[in-house]
Amino acid sequence: MTGEDVIILLPLVIVAAAAVAAMLAIAVRRSHAATAGIALTGLAAALAEVLVNLWLKKGYVGHLAVMDNQALFVIGLVLAANLVVGILSYGYLSRRRERAEEYYVLLLLAALGGMVLAISIHFATFFLGLEVLSVSLYGLVAYERGRLGVEASLKYLVLGGTASAFVFFGMGLVYFDRGSMIFFWVDWLYGQYGPGPLGLVAMVGCVMMFVGIGFKLAVVPFHLWTADVYQGAPAPVTALVATVSKGAVLALVLRMARGSPWAGYYFGDRAVYYSGGVCPSAPVFWILAAIAVASMFTGNLLALRQRNVKRLLAYSSISHLGYLLVAVLVSGAAGATAAGFYLVTYFAATLAAFGVVTALSGANGEAESLEDYRGLAWRRPALAALMTVAMLSLAGIPLTAGFVGKFYLLTAGAGAGLWALVIILVANSGIGLFYYLRVVWAMFERRATEEKELPRIGVATGVVLAGLGAAVVLIGVWPGPLAELVRAWMGGGW
Amino acid sequence: MDTQTAEKTTELWPLAVYAGLVAATVLAIVTISYLLGERHRERATGLPYESGIVPTGTARRPLPVNFYLVAALFVIFDVEAVFLLVWAGAFRQAGWAGYVEIVVFAGVMGAGLFYLWRVGALKVIGGRGEHESGDTDEQ
Amino acid sequence: MNSVSPESGLVVAAVLFALGLGGVLARRNMLFVLMSIEIMLNAAALAMITAGARHHAADGQVMFMFILATAAAEVAVGLAIVLLIYRRRRTLDVDEAREMRG
Repeated sequence: MTGEDVIILLPLVIVAAAAVAAMLAIAVRRSHAATAGIALTGLAAALAEVLVNLWLKKGYVGHLAVMDNQALFVIGLVLAANLVVGILSYGYLSRRRERAEEYYVLLLLAALGGMVLAISIHFATFFLGLEVLSVSLYGLVAYERGRLGVEASLKYLVLGGTASAFVFFGMGLVYFDRGSMIFFWVDWLYGQYGPGPLGLVAMVGCVMMFVGIGFKLAVVPFHLWTADVYQGAPAPVTALVATVSKGAVLALVLRMARGSPWAGYYFGDRAVYYSGGVCPSAPVFWILAAIAVASMFTGNLLALRQRNVKRLLAYSSISHLGYLLVAVLVSGAAGATAAGFYLVTYFAATLAAFGVVTALSGANGEAESLEDYRGLAWRRPALAALMTVAMLSLAGIPLTAGFVGKFYLLTAGAGAGLWALVIILVANSGIGLFYYLRVVWAMFERRATEEKELPRIGVATGVVLAGLGAAVVLIGVWPGPLAELVRAWMGGGW
Repeated sequence: MDTQTAEKTTELWPLAVYAGLVAATVLAIVTISYLLGERHRERATGLPYESGIVPTGTARRPLPVNFYLVAALFVIFDVEAVFLLVWAGAFRQAGWAGYVEIVVFAGVMGAGLFYLWRVGALKVIGGRGEHESGDTDEQ
Repeated sequence: MNSVSPESGLVVAAVLFALGLGGVLARRNMLFVLMSIEIMLNAAALAMITAGARHHAADGQVMFMFILATAAAEVAVGLAIVLLIYRRRRTLDVDEAREMRG
């Protein structure tokens, strides 16, 4: 690794250094404020460094990683989400536990894992990013040692470890068949051998990799852990699982699906050959399409009968990942742009929703039952308004970010001629409306008795929540600038 | 092919003879001592021999939980050493850049060790895990 | 010294992986479930080595070391979580971990 590589990778270096510094700070003296300060400063510095990198330094790091526009965009998203979660966690943890410091080390490591996934162009970085992200999330999910958190973490760990093994074995098989672990090269070697069907070994390898990736994205049929982990994890950690973990893995899938410039030449018509880089074949296209459809329906239908807000959001996230897979299937620059825009809107709305859950969670239990939200509009109008905006955005109502995101997804899908998927997506948005509006409805109901004392909200948490709400509305009303930004960054190139 | 198998059989017969001799010797010792030896049926005859002391309690005592913690930490640090070995093998090719990298790596590992020492995870006896009832996480 | 063919190595890796997967699905004891995960990860590592041997490259062995190191970390975290559960419930049966439903 040369000095130039270090400069290219500076955002990652800063976060890694902040993690070590936070750990040493804990070893010297335990202080919640100091550790949180180090972690949040590190994340903010890395975020600032991303903006500098955008103008100054991009490029390849050996064969392992690339820092291009897409990588910087996803890293920016990951860091911003981690920063939001970190600030929300500070208020949450100071209400609950005395030993809150290690939480921030794990938070920084989760950010690091997500960033490595964002720059990955090689199985080795894919593997390392996935493991760093997953292992720190296992720790975070179990951080609140109440029995639900530990149980959720065990389920996550057993299924996540199995999924990791599937990914690595699949990598081994693809490498066995193709003799390269670099995404572009694997893709190019397929081109060299002609656009025929994959060999059996590579085909099995591709399917195994998708099993593992499907688990990380929590798409049907690999979604069984989602609701339990969402419910058992502390609310800010749930926000992290819903955003950073899925967003980073999805960015990696986009990179794998984009492939090299040769892909389009060799694979011509997408309807026949999925021009997806590492795993190009018609069966893979149909499997992904089936997964997308199943995720949309399963997520939305199971969410209908949930009375626990965290579980409801879990099933809703399954359907949202189904929507995002449509963009992956479109592939190319159009798909990446639509996915990037949708990711931003999904991140903002999801963080806002879990921000409200976090802000309402006091020392004695989390506000996860729908009952906890009944009449909220009359007790905490600001929080209820934010939750309403988040729910409307997730449902895709006009004048919120979610609507514009869905619009871009539909345009991209229609542009690629995936009409069946587009129609299913629209139908599912209709189903989703029911349960999102049920939460809103509950908040505006009048309630006679008021038994629970609601926790106070700190200044930083308030500012972050207000910012999220403003972002959701602003993107919905005036999407132009963000759309330009996403097109420039996710469209590929430097 | 034929010559090869023949060669192998000629190589193997001393081994068979040796194994037969061992079995015969063991059988002879056991048989002779059974026929000629004394017989006891005292109170402590059937107990395991513990340097002449009568054993107390069971061997299946639960170890303190910190023992497992230290064992897990050992495994992690032990496995990380593999990277040091690989670097040592490629010492000349890696050059100064490799040296800086391995120093950073070792530094991070050292920082981790320092942290573990300070939070008391390395105390096998008297550490945090000893008094389990002191846990505050029962809800 | 005659070498093993890469394909047979892959078959061994596949059998190991299937054994691990079977263990994860069938075992009720959490420790054995963790062991089965470890077996699956090691099967993946073996597949990497086999693939590297087929292409006469060191990449497979590098991946093997990465898998080794991260598998140790993963299982250490798993053991810590199992210990937490054991302290509370006094059992290692995975079926006992089912307080969340729906």
